[in-house]
Amino acid sequence: MGFLVTTIIFLLAGVAASLSTLLCCNRGPSTNLFHLTLVNTAVICCWMMYAIVYLAQMKPLINPILSGE
Amino acid sequence: MGVFDRLPPMDLMRSEKMCFVQLIIPAESSRVAVTYLGELGLLQFKDLNEDKSPFQRIFVNQVKRCAEMSRKLRFFSDQINKAGVRSSVRPALEPDIDLEELEARLGEHEHELLEMNTNSDKLQQTYNELLEFKLVLSKAGGILASSHNHAASAERELDENIYDNGVDEGNSYLLEQGMHQGSPGNSGVRFVSGIILKSKALAFERMLFRATRGNMLFNQAPAGEPVTDPISGEEVEKTVFVVSFSGEQAKTKILKICDSFGASCYPVPEEMVKQRQIFHEVSARLSDLEVTLDAGIQHRNKALESIGSQLWRWTIMVKKEKAVYDALNMLNFDVTKKCLVGEGWCPIFAKSQIKDCLQRATLHSNSQVGIIFHEMDTIESPPTYFRTDKFTNAFQEIVDAYGVARYQEANPAVYSVVTFPFLFAVMFGDWGHGICLLLGTLVLILREKKLSSQKLSSFMELAFGGRYVILLMAIFSIYCGLIYNEFFSVPFHIFGKSAYECREKSCSDAHTAGLIKVRDPYPFGVDPSWRGSRSELPFLNSLKMKMSIIMGVAQMNLGIVLSYFDARFHGNALDIRYQFIPQMIFLNSLFGYLALLILLKWCTGSQADLYHVMIYMFLDPAGDLGENQLFWGQKELQILLLLLALVAVPWMLFPKPFILKRLHKERFQGHTYRFLGTSEMDPDSEPDSARARHDDFNFSEVFVHQMIHSIEFVLGAVSNTASYLRLWALSLAHSELSTVFYEKLLLLAWGYDSLIVKLVGLIVFAFATAFILLMMETLSAFLHALRLHWVEFMNKFYHGDGYKFKPFSFALLADDED
Repeated sequence: MGFLVTTIIFLLAGVAASLSTLLCCNRGPSTNLFHLTLVNTAVICCWMMYAIVYLAQMKPLINPILSGE
Repeated sequence: MGVFDRLPPMDLMRSEKMCFVQLIIPAESSRVAVTYLGELGLLQFKDLNEDKSPFQRIFVNQVKRCAEMSRKLRFFSDQINKAGVRSSVRPALEPDIDLEELEARLGEHEHELLEMNTNSDKLQQTYNELLEFKLVLSKAGGILASSHNHAASAERELDENIYDNGVDEGNSYLLEQGMHQGSPGNSGVRFVSGIILKSKALAFERMLFRATRGNMLFNQAPAGEPVTDPISGEEVEKTVFVVSFSGEQAKTKILKICDSFGASCYPVPEEMVKQRQIFHEVSARLSDLEVTLDAGIQHRNKALESIGSQLWRWTIMVKKEKAVYDALNMLNFDVTKKCLVGEGWCPIFAKSQIKDCLQRATLHSNSQVGIIFHEMDTIESPPTYFRTDKFTNAFQEIVDAYGVARYQEANPAVYSVVTFPFLFAVMFGDWGHGICLLLGTLVLILREKKLSSQKLSSFMELAFGGRYVILLMAIFSIYCGLIYNEFFSVPFHIFGKSAYECREKSCSDAHTAGLIKVRDPYPFGVDPSWRGSRSELPFLNSLKMKMSIIMGVAQMNLGIVLSYFDARFHGNALDIRYQFIPQMIFLNSLFGYLALLILLKWCTGSQADLYHVMIYMFLDPAGDLGENQLFWGQKELQILLLLLALVAVPWMLFPKPFILKRLHKERFQGHTYRFLGTSEMDPDSEPDSARARHDDFNFSEVFVHQMIHSIEFVLGAVSNTASYLRLWALSLAHSELSTVFYEKLLLLAWGYDSLIVKLVGLIVFAFATAFILLMMETLSAFLHALRLHWVEFMNKFYHGDGYKFKPFSFALLADDED
């Protein structure tokens, strides 16, 4: 459940960032497309990083063994 | 795919559309027109006189004049620097002067300055000589005074010398006479006094001794303080000497030897009274000279100051003029010799601006005829021009460092703006270090205006030029640091409770069997329980290696997709069918499948050994998977994927050269008949390229090229995917270094009670972090992220064999010269 919720949060954050970019720096259609590409690429990269780390910990094969005596 | 057609063209994705233009400028408005074009800075002139030497060009005289003027300006600035005059750059109070006036003025100023310099040099020399004279007076006076006391012993010395060396009878008689004649102070023995370099004094004495056969007395006294040599102008150690001798021949010999040794002789009277008189005279003259010299220096400094305030303006004016004449030299006179014809490249959006510019030039030069400006066709490939702002400029330069994009090719900088800092952050991930980087780059960005006008050292200039790159790198590093859960290698429980807890309350087996997972995974990032555990490295290594593979496959797929868009833009269906599709199939059936397996293993928690699966997919595809089975139908799917990959290789290798050959034959089949039919050929009707490439299709060359391309892709698929493992390697290195510094420096020092040890430990930790982690690791991760982009990402679609658009622009000139 935590994964899905966070994915949706990322999606919403991406949409929000795109809209705010369009609103605040509206400089013509081609520049807007460029800015949108940047924002969406960033959101996708960040989500991928989060998802990989989360999925790797969902069903781990080893567990932490504390060091020391 | 239709949705992509309806989208507007993306800024910066492809280089600006350029057109080849021809200008016909009447001679009287040529200079003004080129000056205005230089101010606009959007036209690149083509050099029509490439084969001519610089001396054969039209405007060679003007260029020489400008060069002469800039030499004079350099001379002025040298003089100003030497004199240490600081002049304020006054705003342009004076009206603009034109070039001839400037030339005359510069000539005048130079003449004036040179005169002033020679005069002051002469005065300075006289001054130094007088100083030496004063010194000689005082020291020689001392020597003479003391020598009179030793007159008796000197007498005896001379006698011995006479008897030993067998001097002329006449001389010795005179000497004896002189000796017996003189009372102390008034002997017939004459002397020469002067001053000589200390280093030469010994040799000088010996030479004198030999020349006069010992018939002389050499007294010396060091000058005490360094003296400025009048001839060389340097400060040297000198010695005052007094040579006592008698006889005319000895005198000439001694004077000649003084000359050859560079000793300066000054007449010193014997009597004390006269000495003091002359001493006073010399002092008076010295003070006079000082006043004169000072006045001269003031006068010169004032002149330099007035020059200095205008120097910057004049330098810029001369540079602009020289640039204008250099550009004019690229144009050609037409047959009537009344117009200049020029050709060049300009972006299509700039055409109206250039037309305006030329109209203004016609107006201001009062020319009757307007300037003709029209487009022309050409077979040359246009230059590449990207309109970047201060943010995207650094990223575009990073891409250009590998190779300037071909005209209208997909520009990797669009994606690199995000993926480059992101990959850097994957290798750098530590939010403590990220915050340090962020603070550093914010300083640079907030003082942008001030720093951009200063002259910076080369390292600072690099850092300043890349400030937005470093800003993005820092922001992504903070994000990745939060995911890796490392703050100077210390984990935090920011996002909730750890998923792991002891099996029992007493935690008795925490060090043997370990903790168990009691909750859902840690909500964001790596669980903090892993830090410091014995199984931390196996877990993190597995995680990071798989992460690198997934990111690598994703970026490589992006690269191949960009090659699809390129092929689509250029209407190259051949490339799409016989390059893009087999490449996608090959890469994804092998490494895309590996990424899928990784994701499945994570989601199902299976114990399958992925190395085994991948290797045996090739070695024994029909074999039973056993415990490595991740999903139903895996064996069949693997066989299918293997077959697809095997089919993809000849698919990308063979069809394209054969189809190209067929297309070429179809296209040029008609032309061979046309050649036989017509005897006269209009050179303009058929572009050169067609004739040149008519027989130019070399099938074996094309086939070999395609083979190399395919082999590069196939083998590269394996090596590039493995290359992405550097993301794991560097991130591991960074994390380990950080841990070592934290545990072995800070914690160790903090364990002691003494405050000094704690402080020292803190300072050493800070320095180690700053230099090794923040500087060295940043550069290292920067470099590797760069390599991943340049090689693994860009070789999937980028050609990079274009040339950059270099317009004739005064703004670029200023950057170049500095």
